[in-house]
Amino acid sequence: MTVTILVAEDEPLMRERLLGMLALAWPDAQVIAAVDNGLDAWDAYLEHAPRVVFLDIRMPGLSGLEVAERIGRQAHVVFVTAYDQYAVDAFDAGAVDYLLKPIQPGRLDKALARLREKLDSQPMDVSAVVRQVKAASPAPAREKLKWLKASVGKQIRLIDVEEVLFFQADTKYTRVVLEGAEALVRIPLKDLLGGLDADRFWQIHRGTVVKVTAIRAAERIDAERMQVLLRGSSEVLPVSRSFTHLFRE
Amino acid sequence: MWGRVANWWTEWEQELLGVLKTPGLADQAPAGWRRAMACKAAKLSHIERQEVYRISVTYRGWALVRLLAKLCLVFSVFGALVKMAFLPKLSMLGAVVAANGVGLGVLTALVGIWFNHEKYSLRGGKLLANTILLGMLGGLFGSVVAMIFRGGSWARLLESAPRVLMLSGFGVLVLVVLPGFVLATVRNRHYALLALKLEQDAEQARLARELSETQLRLLRAQIEPHFLFNTLGAVQQLAEQGAPRAAELTAHLIDFLRASMSDMRCEQVSLATEFGLVESYLAVMQIRMGERLRFRIDLPTSLAATRIPSMLVLTLAENAIKHGIEPSLRGGEITVTAQEDANHIRIAVHDSGVGMSDTPGNGTGLENVRSRLRLAYGESASLALSEAEPGLLAELLIPRKDAQ
Repeated sequence: MTVTILVAEDEPLMRERLLGMLALAWPDAQVIAAVDNGLDAWDAYLEHAPRVVFLDIRMPGLSGLEVAERIGRQAHVVFVTAYDQYAVDAFDAGAVDYLLKPIQPGRLDKALARLREKLDSQPMDVSAVVRQVKAASPAPAREKLKWLKASVGKQIRLIDVEEVLFFQADTKYTRVVLEGAEALVRIPLKDLLGGLDADRFWQIHRGTVVKVTAIRAAERIDAERMQVLLRGSSEVLPVSRSFTHLFRE
Repeated sequence: MWGRVANWWTEWEQELLGVLKTPGLADQAPAGWRRAMACKAAKLSHIERQEVYRISVTYRGWALVRLLAKLCLVFSVFGALVKMAFLPKLSMLGAVVAANGVGLGVLTALVGIWFNHEKYSLRGGKLLANTILLGMLGGLFGSVVAMIFRGGSWARLLESAPRVLMLSGFGVLVLVVLPGFVLATVRNRHYALLALKLEQDAEQARLARELSETQLRLLRAQIEPHFLFNTLGAVQQLAEQGAPRAAELTAHLIDFLRASMSDMRCEQVSLATEFGLVESYLAVMQIRMGERLRFRIDLPTSLAATRIPSMLVLTLAENAIKHGIEPSLRGGEITVTAQEDANHIRIAVHDSGVGMSDTPGNGTGLENVRSRLRLAYGESASLALSEAEPGLLAELLIPRKDAQ
């Protein structure tokens, strides 16, 4: 089976560089997407479920660390950074893979050799190391979203994010469902993700984010599929395979 | 015996000198009057302690004895002269003893005033009355002693009492109070000047320290490893592609490095130099970020030679990239402009990025800018940040030299 790769790097020249070097060093792997920000990275990950993910740490939208945290142990993560001494030390200590920019061919070959050995086993969980790095980084967490502006007819309504039961992607818009009401917001769901607290709003599907406290139960449909039942709404939301691990006991 | 006294004296002297140098040592003096003396010395103000220390070091040991001997000699000669000139009836011994007594008394009083000048000026009236009263009592006591030794009667004593009181009061006034007043006034002014100078010295030292700290931070803060490694990576990539822009990017990088290395060493640079530095920085970032960054720089020729503290505008431009454009999904535009009006030069750095809400780590760079503005212009320059739709506007307001 061909190994699929996702590359997320915000600077175009650096992205080209990594892509060019990957094509040379790992010709039988397939790069399924190359994106320039964290939100697109997460979206592309959900769409393509790649086996290997190269994540620049500093990116707009979501940082590479935040994307890695969401991916959990679903893919092999290789961080890319120009200079984050603390992160590099933590990666070394936690045996997390990383590449230093500008990437040099010899270094990439070594990293790929290490990666190939691990490909058949389950990816390691980088979240503990990521949390450690995030806690120590000087920049505090991105400000969380508090209000949403939604147009209902001619009115602009302000919606408290806390009151939202779930968000659902609707092409360029996002459907926002509250208890007994709903509205349409002119922002794509993937752009809203960065402003939502990942501990309190779980993404259960590429197009669905649900407030954890609104979940009444999750039930199995068959061996692979699950669905979520809600408090305050009779809608039933499907859980895609990438997210069933959230409900594993 | 003599050796022990000398030892004891030296030890006590050392102890007091020690306390004068470091007041904290006062607690280590042996309990009793020595501890009391040490505590008293420790309570003196910083300036006073320095003075007492200087005097004590100059007049320690035999120097003090010699000084006292000289003073006694002067008083004795003075007493003898007064006797010969005005009071032939007085015995020579009496005149000399009296002159020494009065002289040493006045001296002690003046030394007391020297170190209590504040009291003297604050409660002058009461102190003056007390001193004169004390002098009068002394005179009266002297007459009583004289009456007992030389024989005399209470009647004569009473008769001469007003004259004695008047004379001794007047004597104290002339010998102690008036010189004391002059001394205290001079001393007060001297003390105030000293205190002011000490304060100024401390302020100057603080400013110097702040300046060198800022410069150090400047040196450390500027060429960030992130910037350098990413730019070198971009150069390498372009070079491997054989793109002509490799040479262009290298040229911008060289301009930037050369300008920032020489600017870091100057406290002030011309606006033309600073804007040139900002332009090479933004040109490097533009090649690296591609479509995500556009920029525009506008410096009127009339302002090109104006001097401002170095690296300020660059810091604002770096902030605009780091906290405005880089975190923004769609990127944006940066405009750097300078304008002047009658009193001010206004330098504005606007970015159309994510704005204030998403600028967490903007502390150190801006704090640095503010402290350097304060060092260069005091309170007459300012840095203001405001939300601009879209993005963030940073404005530097600097007083014009010719309007100051």
